[in-house]
Amino acid sequence: MSSLACPFCGPRELDEFLFHKTLPEAQGDEYAVYERANRIDDSLEHWQHVRGCRAWLRVRRNPSTGEVREVQLLGRGHS
Amino acid sequence: MRSVRPRTTGVRPRATGVRPRVGTRLQSEPVRFWFDGREYTGQRGDTAASALLAQGVRLLGRSVKYRRPRGLLAAGPEEPNALLTEGTPPTVIPNVPAPQLILRDGLVLRSQNRWPSLRYDLASLLQAGGGFFGAGFYYKTFIWPSWRSYENIIRKLAGLGAAPGAANLMPPSIEHLSCDVLIGGAGPAGLAAALAAARAGARVVICEREPAVGGELEFEGATIDGQGAAHWIGAVKAELAQRGSRLLMDTAIVGGSDGLVIAHREPGGLAGCNTVYRIRPHRFVIAMGAVERPIAFVDNDRPGVMLLGAAERLLARYGVVAGERPLLFGNHDRLYAAAARLGAAGIQVRATVDSRPEAAAASGGAAAAARAELSRAGVECLFGHAVVAAEGGIVLRGARVAPLVSPASIRRFDCDAILVSGGWSPAVHAGLHEQGARRYTDDAAAFVADRQPEWRLTAGAASGLLDLAGVMADGFAAGDRAARACGATGSAGRPPVASGDGNPRLIPFWRSPASLNQEKRQFVDFQNDVTVADLRQALAEGFIDIEHIKRYTTLGVGTEQGRTGSILGAAIVAELRGLSLARVGASRTRPPYHPVTLAALAGHRVGAKLRPVRRTPLHHWHAANGGVPESSEYWMRTRFYRANGADAFSAGIAEAARVRAHGGILDASTLGKIEVVGRDAAKYLDRLYLAKASTIKVGRGKYMVNLREDGMVLDDGIVLRIDEDRYLATTGSGHAEHMLSHFEYYRDTEWSGANVALINVTEAWSVIVAAGPASRGVLQTVLGKPWYTGLDRLSHMAFVDGRWQERELRVLRASFSGELAFELHCRSDIALPLLQALADAGLPPYGLEALDILRLEKGYLAGSELNGQTTPLDLGMDGLLKLANPCVGRTLLDRPALHEPLRPRLVGLRAVDRKASIQGGAQITAANSPSQSLGHVTAGVYSPTLGEWIALALVARSFAAEGTLLVARDPLRGGDTRVRVTAPVHFDPAGERMKS
Amino acid sequence: MNGAQRYSAWALLRARLAGPGYWRSLWSGATLKDAYDVVVVGAGGHGLATAYHLAHDHGIKRVAVLEKHLVGYGNVGRNTTIVRSNYLLPENHYFYEDSLRRWERLSRVLNYNVMYSPRGVLDLAQSDGDMIGLARRGNAMRLAGIDAELLDRGGVLEFAPELAVSGPRRFELVGGLLQRRGGTVRHDAVAWGYARAASALGVDIIEDCEVTGIRTAGGLATGVESTRGYVKAERIVFAVAGHTGTVGGMLGLTLPIETHLLQAMVTEPIKPLVGSVHVYAHPHGEAYVTQSDRGGVVMGGFLDGFPSYTREGQWYRLEDVVQTAVALLPHLAGLRILRHWAGTNDMTMDGSFIIDRIRHDNVFLNGGWCYGGFKAIPASGAACATFVATGTAPDLIRAHGLSRFKTGHLLDERGAGPFPSRQ
Repeated sequence: MSSLACPFCGPRELDEFLFHKTLPEAQGDEYAVYERANRIDDSLEHWQHVRGCRAWLRVRRNPSTGEVREVQLLGRGHS
Repeated sequence: MRSVRPRTTGVRPRATGVRPRVGTRLQSEPVRFWFDGREYTGQRGDTAASALLAQGVRLLGRSVKYRRPRGLLAAGPEEPNALLTEGTPPTVIPNVPAPQLILRDGLVLRSQNRWPSLRYDLASLLQAGGGFFGAGFYYKTFIWPSWRSYENIIRKLAGLGAAPGAANLMPPSIEHLSCDVLIGGAGPAGLAAALAAARAGARVVICEREPAVGGELEFEGATIDGQGAAHWIGAVKAELAQRGSRLLMDTAIVGGSDGLVIAHREPGGLAGCNTVYRIRPHRFVIAMGAVERPIAFVDNDRPGVMLLGAAERLLARYGVVAGERPLLFGNHDRLYAAAARLGAAGIQVRATVDSRPEAAAASGGAAAAARAELSRAGVECLFGHAVVAAEGGIVLRGARVAPLVSPASIRRFDCDAILVSGGWSPAVHAGLHEQGARRYTDDAAAFVADRQPEWRLTAGAASGLLDLAGVMADGFAAGDRAARACGATGSAGRPPVASGDGNPRLIPFWRSPASLNQEKRQFVDFQNDVTVADLRQALAEGFIDIEHIKRYTTLGVGTEQGRTGSILGAAIVAELRGLSLARVGASRTRPPYHPVTLAALAGHRVGAKLRPVRRTPLHHWHAANGGVPESSEYWMRTRFYRANGADAFSAGIAEAARVRAHGGILDASTLGKIEVVGRDAAKYLDRLYLAKASTIKVGRGKYMVNLREDGMVLDDGIVLRIDEDRYLATTGSGHAEHMLSHFEYYRDTEWSGANVALINVTEAWSVIVAAGPASRGVLQTVLGKPWYTGLDRLSHMAFVDGRWQERELRVLRASFSGELAFELHCRSDIALPLLQALADAGLPPYGLEALDILRLEKGYLAGSELNGQTTPLDLGMDGLLKLANPCVGRTLLDRPALHEPLRPRLVGLRAVDRKASIQGGAQITAANSPSQSLGHVTAGVYSPTLGEWIALALVARSFAAEGTLLVARDPLRGGDTRVRVTAPVHFDPAGERMKS
Repeated sequence: MNGAQRYSAWALLRARLAGPGYWRSLWSGATLKDAYDVVVVGAGGHGLATAYHLAHDHGIKRVAVLEKHLVGYGNVGRNTTIVRSNYLLPENHYFYEDSLRRWERLSRVLNYNVMYSPRGVLDLAQSDGDMIGLARRGNAMRLAGIDAELLDRGGVLEFAPELAVSGPRRFELVGGLLQRRGGTVRHDAVAWGYARAASALGVDIIEDCEVTGIRTAGGLATGVESTRGYVKAERIVFAVAGHTGTVGGMLGLTLPIETHLLQAMVTEPIKPLVGSVHVYAHPHGEAYVTQSDRGGVVMGGFLDGFPSYTREGQWYRLEDVVQTAVALLPHLAGLRILRHWAGTNDMTMDGSFIIDRIRHDNVFLNGGWCYGGFKAIPASGAACATFVATGTAPDLIRAHGLSRFKTGHLLDERGAGPFPSRQ
């Protein structure tokens, strides 16, 4: 995976994006900030297209192969 | 200059200057160069290896561990022995493989890893150690008294070339290419693939590591579509050019990641004058051929023992004869075609030694015909035999040959070269990453490419094909497939019909018989002196897996990246273990696929260009006025002005004192600024700041603090309410990007639906601070009458928008210095005139050094306190916390640990003796327990206002009461200072000066 | 020690005279038994060191180390070999100092040369602000009796003349924090040395045996499920480094772990050039540079930046590290990279490690080593073994439990917060 397909901008080189965190298993309380899901073949993550349109994205990937399964826009009108 | 002509027996060095050699890569023009202090002449197109061999120089290097004399083994980057250093110290380039180093006039070359000379090397006496220095011997000794006692000597003995002292390398050009089909390798498979793909209409790029295309077609004497190979190659090149395909010569594919392929072009084989290609192909065809393998026999590392293909290449490319009377040794039918070709060039082949039984050889066809011809010429062709030992030291004298069924019956042959070929290992390393794999196949007796991700294909040897006809057909098919996958619809036409060296009918043979004691002179990895004995020993010591063996014996870790040694070693391990090579496997290869210089990866980001420089619009004014710059994140800011002192310390004090006494101006343009606009802006900001933003009145600002999700203070700054639905949030210099992301994250995730726009306006507004008792007066003078009343009436933390010279200007009355001060926000085109006007009207500039003194005197926070480890409570923001605003991070702030007695608290410090210095970074302890840290000094300065050193510190809550006596310990910089805890605000605690 | 051949220069001489076949296996081929007192999962540095100390310090007889692939194949064989104890927080620096003191003696203790080379670890400063940060850390170390020196620019160039350059740097060297006793250790030797020593004390090291889960009864673990069958165990230690995250799945827990990738590379071997370990961090990049005893220059930098188990890094991140390394030492530019690789790092939410019980009273987690696991191996093994053997966490690791994230007793050296990609 050396590129991500931004819903606005299309496929862009990976260094335009900034990874923020993987999501925890369940959206819990504030302590969930310390938790992360750790599945070896499926990872739900928040990234931002910082050197582009600055959209926040939910990316579903396989961290064992790098395969990107899904990229979704986050923000107003999306969830 | 001492002569280094080697003693040779029965071999005349080729006379030079008499008649130029002829070869496919040669021109007749002479080229002069130096090797180990002596001048030689070659021809244009020669490599260092070919020119030196042509002059009879056989001794080209020494091995790493035993310093055995070595000559040329191979004709490409897989060369493990003949590594040369180019250049004169300190500008040297080490470890250049001689067969890759194309000569230029005046080149200065040196052999490596020997002292005092290549011929007489002192450390070669280590060879007598033999079994003492076996694999991993250094793990078993050098323990007493310590490793350090031995390390220096060992480090000097280890390593190959001399360390470079200076690098005058030009940064590479960088080219971005996208294409349909990228083909790695322009040998027969690659050329066929390129032809198919280009004819089908695909955009094709071909990378070829050598300076010429063709691969083994250069010497094989093949016929393709009825023409000679050279002719066919010329036609293909023309056709590819005409169809717009791009052929990159001297370009090796080195690596990349997921769909990005990086190639590096280095003409001449020396670093410099090079290009890095960043290629995004739709499909990548790996057609990089195969690397010939040696066979392990006793003293198979002597100068004069060479790979058969290397000798053929030397002859065809450079007209160099590796040996006038060579012995050929191998396990396949190519032996005979090669022998015939050498014979045709006037070389007297002594004999061919084939490890296979005669029945395995082809009974008809070209190979058989070649054998018949050899017999007629009186060349003995032995089957079921092996070379068991080479004879000679620096000069090869002969070979010992024995039948495999009775290895003790040795026959001696006189010869001056032993040309070895144990088969070929396909170059599949570029196909091994990103879920690529390889598998061992008995047909080719080699590891070939196995499953590949969709965008990568293999062709030719990588697919396990070794006969020319098969290779070309496979290449053509791969090219066609690749083109179709890209949507090309043209017709590729007929594949070329080739006939050359046919199927080699190879039967694996990895090492000749030897006694256990002789195994320590059967070399597997030449550069690192790994022998069969080492492999056996590793197994005995429990290093059974090939990965362990690689690490323990250092098999394959040299500059040739295991090309000649890794698989040979794995095969011998398999034999020793009694298992198949498929089962044992070979050790993982790692990228880069070809050794690549750091310069190629550094690209243009070298020297001052490592990272961008950000400057404010006022940058040149500072420089012109004696400002001394300081790097802060990407920004260049001014630390102090030379007119005020010889160094930062004295200038800072002078500038700070002047601001308090009179006034000054500061460039604060780097201040982060984010506009927050929208119907929900107020409510939204309420949730991101510790205090509520919704209560800020329009036209006013408030000092606000953000929390990180875990309750630590993330950032602080003034938030202005410009309008009902419009705010300007300021952040620390250099933090704007990060804070913007933080704001956007919450808007787009937790509170998606919030009607809020966030815009980074850091660079839209220049900011000049005018501070000091005289600031209002000067400002009124500069801004003029329309501003008089407004400025008079402007209260602390209020702002007013207006115009100056017809451009927007916002004046905010806020203070980081504790003096009456105004922040002027304006567009960059008036920043300079405004600053100049203020300076002319009597406010001199001050820098960051002075700012730090001023803010410290007031106990204001900066990065040293906002270090990501402190909560608002630690920093004394009790008031803000009482508001209990449910913002991000508020809940975790209530965790018990964050309220414990040992939690830090922000305090001020003064030296008890009112004289000693207190510096940021000192640790705080109680007087009677000197090793327990109670906190640290975050920042300490000499205060001109107070006439002594003052500091801010974070001290454990239970020791933070005013008046407590503690010690600031600073063993790193001089010693201890007894200190007294004070309030953080050292000067004007009521803030009267700034509110005046 | 019993069971292993003693190594020494004399032994080498005897081997030379005796001829081939003298040396015996470092760790004997053990057979997997039905039941053990302690099963350690993972034959990396931490697992092997723990097993060794269980046997050596606590006399526990029946210990097995179950390894999915090969001894020392994971991070212990992939790191950049740096050892140091220059940490800021007392909870960390006392621990790592214990480790450093063990490194000093380890070759003698294990009778295996791990090549501890105290050539100095130099953290370089780009600004006065950096110097204050380094001073804070160095002073904290000195308070704890750990060696540290703050050098100014002249001092840096005197200590490491190779850092003198003719042109300007984008981020100038202002000074540095030097720990002279820090340096490098030969990483493979550590795994093999501990494996040999543990095996000599009767520890069963079983390769090619993957643990896939645990069995429980009455709130306690009873053993591990593995690809070679069920193995009873009274106590279980997970020391699986980059796969720590998956242990949570095995036990039905969510862990404060995010698994990241870290790259490293080595150049062709050259004569000595870099005499110590240099750490050069500027606002937008980081590189550490050292030279192995074989002559290759070893470099690494910061995490790639997103979760990955692929052990194959991004090219642009490799370029970042190289740019910074060349900015520090411009004469490296002409050298060639021979190999680059990556390891899998279990990053925690505060950047410090975790040794604690996990889920059950008799199951222990030794992990969360982030990118600092290698230097911790000796202390980790000793402390973890004591914890497992006695049931009480020794002082050195008392602060490194899992509960600290809830209670707020975080060990955050850098102040980056619960975002591992920034640690």
